[in-house]
Amino acid sequence: MTSLDIAPFANALVLGASIASIWLIAAIGLTIIYGTVGVINMAHGEFIMLGAYTSYALQSFLGLPFLLCLPASFAVVALVGLAIERGLIRYLYNRPLDTLLATWGVSLVLMQGVRLIFGSDPKYIAVPEIFQSNVEVGFASLSVFRLVVIGVTALVVAATAWLFYRTRFGMQVRAVMQNKEMAASFGINADRVYMTTFAIGAGLAGLAGSLFGVLAIVLPTMGTAYVVQAFLVVVVGGGTLLGSVAAAGLTGELQSVFAFLTNDTFARFLLYVLIVVFLRFRPRGLFAVAKARR
Amino acid sequence: MTTKQNLYHSKPAQWAVYGLFFAAIALIPVFVTDGFLLNQFAVYGIYGMLALSISLCWGFGGILNLGQGIAFGLAAYGMAMTMQMQSQDPDSNPIPPFMLNNSLEHLPWFWQPFWSTGGGILLALVVPTLFYVVFGTLMFRARVSGPFFAIMSLAMLSAFATLILDMQPYTNGANGISPPAPLSLFGTDLDPYGTTAYWIVCGGLVAVTVGAKLLTQSKFGLVVQALRGDPERVRFLGYNVALYETCIYAISGFIAALAGCLWVMLIQYVSPAQLDTTFSIGMVIWAGIGGRLSLLGAILGAFLIQGGQSYLGDQFLATWLLMLGAFFIVVVRFLPKGLAGLLEMILGSIARQPAKHARPEPAGLPAAGE
Repeated sequence: MTSLDIAPFANALVLGASIASIWLIAAIGLTIIYGTVGVINMAHGEFIMLGAYTSYALQSFLGLPFLLCLPASFAVVALVGLAIERGLIRYLYNRPLDTLLATWGVSLVLMQGVRLIFGSDPKYIAVPEIFQSNVEVGFASLSVFRLVVIGVTALVVAATAWLFYRTRFGMQVRAVMQNKEMAASFGINADRVYMTTFAIGAGLAGLAGSLFGVLAIVLPTMGTAYVVQAFLVVVVGGGTLLGSVAAAGLTGELQSVFAFLTNDTFARFLLYVLIVVFLRFRPRGLFAVAKARR
Repeated sequence: MTTKQNLYHSKPAQWAVYGLFFAAIALIPVFVTDGFLLNQFAVYGIYGMLALSISLCWGFGGILNLGQGIAFGLAAYGMAMTMQMQSQDPDSNPIPPFMLNNSLEHLPWFWQPFWSTGGGILLALVVPTLFYVVFGTLMFRARVSGPFFAIMSLAMLSAFATLILDMQPYTNGANGISPPAPLSLFGTDLDPYGTTAYWIVCGGLVAVTVGAKLLTQSKFGLVVQALRGDPERVRFLGYNVALYETCIYAISGFIAALAGCLWVMLIQYVSPAQLDTTFSIGMVIWAGIGGRLSLLGAILGAFLIQGGQSYLGDQFLATWLLMLGAFFIVVVRFLPKGLAGLLEMILGSIARQPAKHARPEPAGLPAAGE
């Protein structure tokens, strides 16, 4: 192959990394919620949407600079997640399919509630000038903001890994994941671990949302666009942090390469079919952990 | 016997209620003469069939299927293609207008079989069912179950929706297919606003309901219900769990496909909106609110929610989804068996109460009298 042939392909790979980072940051909150609490959170897309609206509201009503909106939307959505966990989810921990349905109800309420408050018209989040320019990455040209997304994603993954594998809290979480009763008998408050993990997962969705609000427009329905991909990343990855990183990288790159060979939508179809076939052989995902039945 | 049987579990009483329900929906055309209203009731009947299909695989089989729109939507497209081809002429006008607008010069190969009405309808029913068999086999033999299966069915649904959107020249993309004329069967046009169309849907609903009820009472149905409780145990008893799961999933898919065909017959339109995730999860909500463990409960749940949407939704347009979401949360939290489960509870407490009073008397009364 000559360099002329390689250029568009390399471009697709760089774009794939960008897609992967978007899917990963959308999926990371979902991963820790599913991996730890065992809840399939159908309201995850709406947590993302809430994050975007939080950033929008803080920016346009309080004039907060964009970079401060990121941690702020983490905090706000984490609080919302905390409230939902305390008010609803904690009663359903032994009924996994019902949590899925209840969180779907939550997503309906959140979506319609936001529509009532902010209206259905699109909102926009302003970002600093430099984020809007383009930059050359090897053969490819990528907007600076997509690089920011990749950077933030890497930071979030590192922070989450640190939290779960290097802190006392993380050790407690992993103990509860392995065996809730045994952990509880060693004095770990499993209820509080679940609550905190759920809130952190929701907060990460909020953080992702304030980034997505810049990548696309802010709408009450924007969450649904990310949620299926986020779920697939969790399913393919098997519910672990490392699994999600690998799964997002793999599916993001495949999506980009398929899209380069065919087109965007057909690539998505191909990818989904591939995932179905993949699950036939590895039903517990890429890095399945041997764990006790819940 | 010290306690009377709960009337809810009495088979004769159940069949009596089914009979009442069938009589009620059969009497509707006597009182409703307005064609538009009759058409709307028939559409509710189709929603009832969809809720029933969810009740069958989720309530009885324990397979939460968030992608029932796959069967419904694919069958609806098959039916719409059949009806579209009825208004084309093989010699003078073989290509549907939207294809000409997308500058197609030949009829695509997969449209060819739809020249034949019977063949088209057959394909509309068989293709989705076959897909369910293949997808179900792949998933269930790998022992993908519970939430993972729900997510995968949702992902497949969204994959199909994007595929249909993408194939603009062959499917007319987001605009969908709207056949210009009603379905013509055996040389007569079926007016979607007439009583015949209503009777067809009504007959379909009755047949499907009775079939499903008999199925759940059969040995097959008992095994399916057993694997809802604990698939591992059923596997250790020597049953091929994947086979049973695939069967109940495919049967539920077939019912949804039938519903898709009838829906297009009534509405004369199909678009990717029929494969929307919200619609498919809506079916689960109908069954969940009505009672997923009760076939009739699921059907009535669909009537209740869709009827509420049509009549309350107009008045409280903005808050309808909010109320629906909140209602659904309450049902999941407090009534996992839905409204039918509430009825079961009430009838159960009624059955217990007189028994307590009657304890001193010799218990010779037949269980569950009325």
